[in-house]
Amino acid sequence: MSAFVQKLSGTALCLMAAVALIPRTAFSSVDDAQSFALQAAEPYVKEGFQIREDYWGGDLGAGEKKAVKQQLFKGNEYWFWLGTEVEKASVSVHIYDKEGKLVEQPDSWQKGQFAAAHVTPQSTDSYFIIVTIETSPEERTHWALVYGFR
Amino acid sequence: MIHFVKISKVGVVLTLALSLSASAVEAPKRIDVKQLSKKVEDVVVPLPNEVFGALNKLGGVNWKEYVRNGKGSNFTERPRIALLLGTVIADGFIAVQAEDAPTVKDIGQRVLGLAKGIGVGNSITPHARAITEAADKRNWVGVRQELDRTQNSVQQAMNEVHDEKLSHLVSLGGWLRGTEVLTAVVNKRFSSDGAELLHQPDLLTYFQDRLQAMPEFNLRLLQEIQAALGEVRPLIDVGDVPISAESVKRINEITARLDEAIVTKGR
Repeated sequence: MSAFVQKLSGTALCLMAAVALIPRTAFSSVDDAQSFALQAAEPYVKEGFQIREDYWGGDLGAGEKKAVKQQLFKGNEYWFWLGTEVEKASVSVHIYDKEGKLVEQPDSWQKGQFAAAHVTPQSTDSYFIIVTIETSPEERTHWALVYGFR
Repeated sequence: MIHFVKISKVGVVLTLALSLSASAVEAPKRIDVKQLSKKVEDVVVPLPNEVFGALNKLGGVNWKEYVRNGKGSNFTERPRIALLLGTVIADGFIAVQAEDAPTVKDIGQRVLGLAKGIGVGNSITPHARAITEAADKRNWVGVRQELDRTQNSVQQAMNEVHDEKLSHLVSLGGWLRGTEVLTAVVNKRFSSDGAELLHQPDLLTYFQDRLQAMPEFNLRLLQEIQAALGEVRPLIDVGDVPISAESVKRINEITARLDEAIVTKGR
């Protein structure tokens, strides 16, 4: 019995060591990316922005883009926040109108695994929000995009 | 679901980091949107309070006029419950705009009852409680947040059991009620800026596509809604031409008729 326990604990140790060697991203998900997007959004809550519970997410390779089409209302002010759990990745998010013209405010920003775009729509219409994984050490990088308005 | 408290410290650090950083790669000033067509993700359907907020900025709206607090009918068909659930959540946002605490609390309980009827009550119980607590404290920001969480939890619970189509009906019910109230407000005191808030052709397409993909829900009401959305399209898909007062009035008639059908038994 004790030999069995010893063998089992040896196996468990090997298993733990193996698990420790698996890249962290193998266990991560879009939900992790969402929590980073929400980190980027958090300071804006104090400024009166209501952050939507719903969000977009997925995974992309380095250099790949994703477009999200969203209805925005004139009179409101919007921020879109993008995040990924991959620390060494760099991401960007930009907003274009339906004609393809960049419409975001100059205070939009990107910083490594976080990015944000700010828009005060000049018309009530659909807009394109373009998400890009600029660089990443991972083959696929999770991303999540949340938005808020006031 | 969103726990901002946990991440507030990180948020502060992030704010400091951002204030010290310059923006990175400059975005192209123009892109070819035709090339995006195959890569576009679905829209997130705006909440009714997103359009109500924009409406508020155009001038004082007497939201009390639009508050509704009937017990309403009880349905057994799940698609009908889903539509009604979306409508009742939208009524919750209207009651928040009117700062009507008793109605908000009643709506919280009504939402819970409907969610139970559709089999997702467990995910709603904590939100219903939070809505009541926030309404008691007249914490309207908190109530709005809980209503959003409620809708999100209902839809997530539906998606988890592969009831995505019911989830779309929740969004549709909310959108129809929101549009009914938007058009009622604009119709009462017309302005071109108010009417412009109806310019939502892509959302209309989104709902039309979703309804078309539900042939198994053989309900007359859904067929009526599909036909009505077809009536609304030419009134709002007008390009750069302003939406007229007549169109606003017509859309109000259409959405009021649909809303009546959603909340009333015997359709």
